Amino acid sequence: MSAITARPVKRAWPLVAEQELRDLWLAGRGLPLIFAYSLLLSVITYLVATNTALNFLEQRESVNLTLQVAVAAGSLLVLLGAADAISGERERGTLESLLLSPATRLSLVVGKGIAALSIWVAAFLVAIPYLSFLGRGVGVVGLAIGNGLLVGVLLALFLAGLGLLMSALSSSNRFSLSVALFVLLALFAPTQLPSGAQQSWVGDLLLRIDPISSGLHYLGKVIVDGHSAGQELSWLIGPAVAAALAVTAALAASRWLNLRGGPS
Amino acid sequence: MKLAVEAHGLSKSYGPLRAVDGLELEVPAGIVLGFLGPNGAGKTTAIRMLTTILSPTAGSFSVAGVPHTRPIEIRSRIGVLPESAGYPDSQTGEEFLRYHARLFGHSRSSARDTSAVLLDEVGLASRGRTFIGGYSRGMRQRLGIARALVNNPEVVFLDEPTLGLDPAGQRQMLDLVQRITKERGATVLLSTHLLAEVEEVCSQVVILNRGRVVAEGTVAEVARQAAAPRRARLRVAPDRTAPALAALSDGGKLTAAELRPGELELTFSAEADPEAMSGEAFQRLLSAEVPVLGFELEGGRLSDAFLAMTESA
Repeated sequence: MSAITARPVKRAWPLVAEQELRDLWLAGRGLPLIFAYSLLLSVITYLVATNTALNFLEQRESVNLTLQVAVAAGSLLVLLGAADAISGERERGTLESLLLSPATRLSLVVGKGIAALSIWVAAFLVAIPYLSFLGRGVGVVGLAIGNGLLVGVLLALFLAGLGLLMSALSSSNRFSLSVALFVLLALFAPTQLPSGAQQSWVGDLLLRIDPISSGLHYLGKVIVDGHSAGQELSWLIGPAVAAALAVTAALAASRWLNLRGGPS
Repeated sequence: MKLAVEAHGLSKSYGPLRAVDGLELEVPAGIVLGFLGPNGAGKTTAIRMLTTILSPTAGSFSVAGVPHTRPIEIRSRIGVLPESAGYPDSQTGEEFLRYHARLFGHSRSSARDTSAVLLDEVGLASRGRTFIGGYSRGMRQRLGIARALVNNPEVVFLDEPTLGLDPAGQRQMLDLVQRITKERGATVLLSTHLLAEVEEVCSQVVILNRGRVVAEGTVAEVARQAAAPRRARLRVAPDRTAPALAALSDGGKLTAAELRPGELELTFSAEADPEAMSGEAFQRLLSAEVPVLGFELEGGRLSDAFLAMTESA
């Protein structure tokens, strides 16, 4: 047997991210998920375009509706990817090999987080042609893409952090996915409040602190109502704070990343 | 003496359960140590602590001279084949090794070379570009050994490497273990249930029971310590049975009885030294011109020691 020498790796997260991206997009669930996502967007776009043609919907409203579906569904995919990232490895028995490498726990979490966020990037790229088609002629496409990207990145960061946190702490993949999905559904709840309830101070507060509701509300104000981004910037405080908190929590949880889940 | 692994008072508790209880361990560099114990004895927990996967509840240890307070440095100097390790089915063996080599600091080209060399060494060169999902249990274990060697480790921990392998697979695995020590000069800590393989490849053994070390030393020392032989089986030519019986039976420290023509059972009295008495028996048979065809001390094997120590503790 020949002697082969290695030097201690300084920054492992790019290596982890590279392998995770390869696993996700070449051999994993990335492509099927994006295919399903594009089918959903196709159906939504068809329905919205039909309603617009029949004058049931303003063109700006149709762009906003499709963008909201794209952002919400894209975020959901990020959550699924992140929630599976660590607990899935734990269940498949492949986490131990990674933990036995000299890569820090933090670099493992960062690398996996980047792979999960790549799902959002792909989802958003898929959404652009649909938005361009629906918004043609009214000068709203650039606005929708720019603001959709801003809100989507914040929500994707929030949900990637949340999913990774759940995945790092839970011993079962099913548990981490269930909890993450439950939290996501709970966060969509304020968007379903009747408009009267939304206008009360409690409803307003709920909308503002719930990152998903406030993000989608911001998009509506900017794209449909034509308000400037600066005018409605306060609606982005919720998503920004949630993203910062979730990402920080996920990075902090990497210190306790272990074979069984939960603090060691 | 340079120590590859050193542990003092190492303990791990899960609530009221003490999986490992004050483990004391000193493993000299360059040997193959058999790490034995029944199921639930704490072998895997001990290995996981020594490989920095689990934090100890109490105690301290060092591996390859690196204290447990520097886990990343320890991990960069050890190789581990975990018990029931999982492998990504969608990666090829080559891709898997390349990735892990890079995590240990190899450049892209060095990782490629390393994976090719290691695949060849574990006999998987022709299957390197096949998805791991198509590998047999034995191939996966050999891939796991290759992964454990990507950093040319000073200490290699193998947790049940032969589990679930057929005899040919077990043979290949044992050959690999011996080569790791002989050709790489690494220290190997081998956890296994197969005592015959321990007797074959290990120079020292540690027997663990209920989280504690109940015996340690060379294979012969442990076997003797646990179960001093009191009986032996002797084979001679069938027509030489009577002279053999006459030569051996003195009614004192040694008695001989015929089991069947050509096969005798020798019994040593409690005060007799079995090894000295065996030598004396050979002398007597030589004097009586009885050729010895076979001789085996009973109760002096590692398996007897293992059972004695793990049942009585």
